[in-house]
Amino acid sequence: MLTLTNMQIVYDRVIEAVRDVSLEVPEGRLVALLGSNGAGKSTLLKAISNVLFPEKGEVLHGQIMFRDRDIGKTSANEIVRAGIIHVPEGRRLFPLMTVEENLLMGGYTASTAALHDALDKVYTMFPRLKERRKGEAGYLSGGEQQMVAVGRALIGQPRLLLLDEPSLGLAPQIIEEIFEAITRLRNEEGISILLVEQNAALALEIADYAYIMENGRIVLDGTASEIAKNADVKEFYLGFGDHGAKKSFRDIKHYKRRKRWLS
Amino acid sequence: MDLFLNLVASGLVIGSVYGLIGMSFAIIFRTTGVLNFAQGEVMMLVAYTAWTLTHTLLFPFWLLVPSTIVLAALIGMAIERLFIRPMTGQPIFAIVMVTIGIAITLRSLTTLVWGHEFEGFSVPFSGGVVEIGPVFLLTEQLAVLILFMAVSAMTWAFFRFSRVGMAMRATSQDETAALLMGVDSRRMSSFAWAISAIVSGLAGVMVSVLFARAPDMWHFGLKSFPAAILGGLDSPIGAGFGGLIIGVIGELSAGYIWNGLKEISGLILIIVILMVRPYGLFGEKELERV
Ligand SMILES: Nc1ncnc2c1ncn2[C@@H]1O[C@H](COP(=O)(O)OP(=O)(O)OP(=O)(O)O)[C@@H](O)[C@H]1O
Ligand SMILES: [Mg+2]
Repeated sequence: MLTLTNMQIVYDRVIEAVRDVSLEVPEGRLVALLGSNGAGKSTLLKAISNVLFPEKGEVLHGQIMFRDRDIGKTSANEIVRAGIIHVPEGRRLFPLMTVEENLLMGGYTASTAALHDALDKVYTMFPRLKERRKGEAGYLSGGEQQMVAVGRALIGQPRLLLLDEPSLGLAPQIIEEIFEAITRLRNEEGISILLVEQNAALALEIADYAYIMENGRIVLDGTASEIAKNADVKEFYLGFGDHGAKKSFRDIKHYKRRKRWLS
Repeated sequence: MDLFLNLVASGLVIGSVYGLIGMSFAIIFRTTGVLNFAQGEVMMLVAYTAWTLTHTLLFPFWLLVPSTIVLAALIGMAIERLFIRPMTGQPIFAIVMVTIGIAITLRSLTTLVWGHEFEGFSVPFSGGVVEIGPVFLLTEQLAVLILFMAVSAMTWAFFRFSRVGMAMRATSQDETAALLMGVDSRRMSSFAWAISAIVSGLAGVMVSVLFARAPDMWHFGLKSFPAAILGGLDSPIGAGFGGLIIGVIGELSAGYIWNGLKEISGLILIIVILMVRPYGLFGEKELERV
């Protein structure tokens, strides 16, 4: 469904954020993209939805194919119309608009009839939003805001959903709620999903396939269960050593130092 | 009391003109963050064009209104496309400087095409007198008030309910997020310039009807600027009411205190109000969360 080949992305013409990344999201699958801070995950998603330009970001090299079409030069609004919807990091609601207006904005490209059905569906999925629909989005709690962000994306009827850290800053039971909703989208609606997460353990639980990104490169990829079993991943992303015990901070620092030597 | 009411009424009339132009400042500012210092000149250009339609091409009034609206929209969009869009990504300050350049260009263009003469602008509804209790109004003054109310209501409904109006608000709050919703932000900018040219253009026609079609009518742009500041630059409706307030205060201070105060009382008021409410009377507060 989505295929990235040899993507290279820079900011301000010199800061190289993504070096040489190839990645694939097959139809109806949930693919996790994991990696530490600054690895280039968000940058990659912004490149797919073509919203790098306001931040002076630029794709120097590489190809983005979506449903057999090269969308590298397609404008952001056309990409949304093609069915790729991106829920950005930090939710990015319209703070002075009401919850319902935010959701309606998600259906900006949809027909009015489809819009009302989709709105009902989101309210069934997140009943809490229905109670708060006349409230200003800026005053919602973080979890409620994330629900609006996901709901807003669903109203646009995506074929491919790009989710950037949906669990950021949320309490465990809200994370569970959101992840359940994400799983259902794949299972019941057949939506393909590219999920960026810091919470690797949780993401690997629901994903079909995973990529691990470091310093702008993919360093590892495989099915979610393979990745979850991989010793290095266990150590550095899931926080467990070989014997199931948490690694100490000093060991991780040691690894980083070694890695710097190698790279 | 009669004097008071008549002063308030004429204040509301002139305030409606300030309010309409103030609204057009706010429509562009709220959507694109640009202060258009050529607003008065755009108003003048539309008024002159409408004058030519009426007095040279002899358009009947029913045809004049829709054609003025269409021409105003085209003028607004053309300016945006030729001068503002190429500046995308430049600092806002540079874009504001460009609008000052546009202002000067439009002023000379207008005198180049139409000359320096003042000309009356006649419309079928002018010349009558309406008596409302102790207040006397000319029919064209009443028309300005009605126009103000109609445009305010339409502007409010447009931003509140229409899909494009909502998208314009969304763009002003978070451009990248709006792009991710499928909004074409360049088109929003073009729409803002079009709507703003229509609103100020209609005000310009009324100024020509009330006074004359004259090469210095762009002054109304400057005089209306305080209205936009007072009401809040990001709130078109607020800017409209800001215009009414400035108009009434101007007339009252001129009538009761000293004629020279007419022009400056509004500015004094703004300084006081902005010290208390830096976002203007109706401006949207910045939320601290998010
Ligand atoms: N607007 C920008 N201008 C310049 N550099 C940027 C910009 N945005 C990101 N970068 C840089 O690009 C690199 C990748 O950033 P990116 O936001 O893609 O990381 P990330 O993997 O999403 O990290 P996180 O997990 O912290 O969100 C970082 O080194 C970052 O400093
Ligand atoms: Mg990120």
